[in-house]
Amino acid sequence: MPDSLAIQTRGLTKSYAGVTALRGLDLKVRQGEIFGFLGPNGAGKTTTIRCLLDQIRPDHGTASVLGFDAQQDPVSVQARVGYLPGELHLEDNLSGRRILRYFSALRRRAVDRATANSLAERLRLDLDTPIKNLSKGNKQKIGLIQALMHRPDLLLLDEPTSGLDPLVQQEVQAIVREAKAAGTTVFFCSHVMSEVEAVADRVGIIREGRLVEVADTAALVNRAVRHVTVRFQTDVPADALEGVRGVTVLTRADSRNVSVQVEGEMDALVKALAALPVAFLKTNQPTLEDVFLAYYQSDNSPPG
Amino acid sequence: MRAVFLHTLRRFRGSIPAWGLSLAALGLIVVPFYDVYLAQEEQMLQFIENYPPEFLAFFGGMAAINTPAGFLDSQLATLPVIFGIFAVLAGSALFARDEESGRLDLIMAHPVSRLLLFGGRFAAFVFATTGILLICWLGFALPLRGSSMDVGMWQMALPMLSTLAVVLVFGTFALLLSMLLPSRRTAAATAGGVMVASFFLSGFANLNADLKPVARLLPYEYFQGGYAISGLNLTWFAGLLAASTFFAAIAGWRFQHRDIRVGGERSHRFSRPSRPRHPQP
Repeated sequence: MPDSLAIQTRGLTKSYAGVTALRGLDLKVRQGEIFGFLGPNGAGKTTTIRCLLDQIRPDHGTASVLGFDAQQDPVSVQARVGYLPGELHLEDNLSGRRILRYFSALRRRAVDRATANSLAERLRLDLDTPIKNLSKGNKQKIGLIQALMHRPDLLLLDEPTSGLDPLVQQEVQAIVREAKAAGTTVFFCSHVMSEVEAVADRVGIIREGRLVEVADTAALVNRAVRHVTVRFQTDVPADALEGVRGVTVLTRADSRNVSVQVEGEMDALVKALAALPVAFLKTNQPTLEDVFLAYYQSDNSPPG
Repeated sequence: MRAVFLHTLRRFRGSIPAWGLSLAALGLIVVPFYDVYLAQEEQMLQFIENYPPEFLAFFGGMAAINTPAGFLDSQLATLPVIFGIFAVLAGSALFARDEESGRLDLIMAHPVSRLLLFGGRFAAFVFATTGILLICWLGFALPLRGSSMDVGMWQMALPMLSTLAVVLVFGTFALLLSMLLPSRRTAAATAGGVMVASFFLSGFANLNADLKPVARLLPYEYFQGGYAISGLNLTWFAGLLAASTFFAAIAGWRFQHRDIRVGGERSHRFSRPSRPRHPQP
């Protein structure tokens, strides 16, 4: 595996009881990036993470994490990875401090206690409260702290902001960005597209166990279909926007109002409109969610 | 492994005194009762003779009940089954409880090999089981000083060792089943069923010799009970420990090679050959 890759899977395949969760997954995550991993429930996101941590063994294929074979040398992987599971369950009768102490002991005390305390303070979490008395959001905060407190080289976060209020969600996004700035690679699964769009450098979309798209987040969004509404000052010919590259006329209410769909760059449309008497122009900014939904609404064909 | 061992042992902190003191209380009653029995031996023998002969045969005839070994044997007969409940529940829960509640995947994301995780938890289970029997032994040994039962404190440890060997077989069997069967509950129920069947088969084998070969396949047949005070049958003892080691080794091997269930999956299905719904790439 090249040094620049934090995660690399080759042909990763995993079936459970007749259901194929991963089908030849080929994934590359670069060191130091925030990689958003998108897909609906059952697409294979959690299965991928669990293969990377050797909690499950793939039927075929290989997975390398930070240069270590995930199946041959899982302890080396686990020592360098911080993991937040999608479904977090902790021992209810312990306090947050006690469970973090246990996790620290499992890491042979390779944990800076001050880091854990400062994260708890930042997330406004009382570590002395028994876990059974904590809300789902506060339990999630303990999960985040245990994933971060040993300053891992790679963070595997499965729905990290699930159950958190918007203010804490923003704080978590800030922590993730700071981790990246400190050199940590972040592998980030989320259903909250705006969140992935806000933090991820690159995005991978998984569908039925296969990676169907990997791209820079901005490029992926820019590649998406936009809807543009134009009102002209005077009547314009019906074919004024015909043949413009990437433009499809959707509706033409009258000779002054037209709605078009633009695939890819806006440049050709803007140049075409420059020659026309435009009174009003409205562009809907596409979101990652639009891109994602396009993958799932179309039959596996990339949008844009 | 030390962290795993200590943490698991901490989870037994309620069970060890609760089970230990309960079983010790049994000893505090049983040993002084021997003197009461001797003082009223004739009435007691008459009382026992009124039992149906099949019942007496089930418990080995009780011919030697007026001896310390025979008396203790009659009192300790059900100890492996009673204490076996702890062993079966604790053994089946050692991993399956955390796995079914979704806690195991986070623990296993930490840099502890599966072998060390298994070893640490299993060592804590054995330690807890031994600790409970140690407290139980104190309950039987301490009243010996004021008793006419001519048994030394260390002699009294021998029936406890015999009990330990038997319950470890049931506990490790439950642990093994928890690695193979769909749920902890199924594993505990199956191991518990085998334990109870073993007890009854050994008893019924005293009534029907044809059952003896079957009873010999099960652990209770090798429980010496009170007769262990005259000397531990080392072959039986070593055999039971070997069976426990075998079950634990298979369970450990299985743990190292199987998938861990994810939180929320609760129980897994029986593994059976099946075709994937989608073709392989």
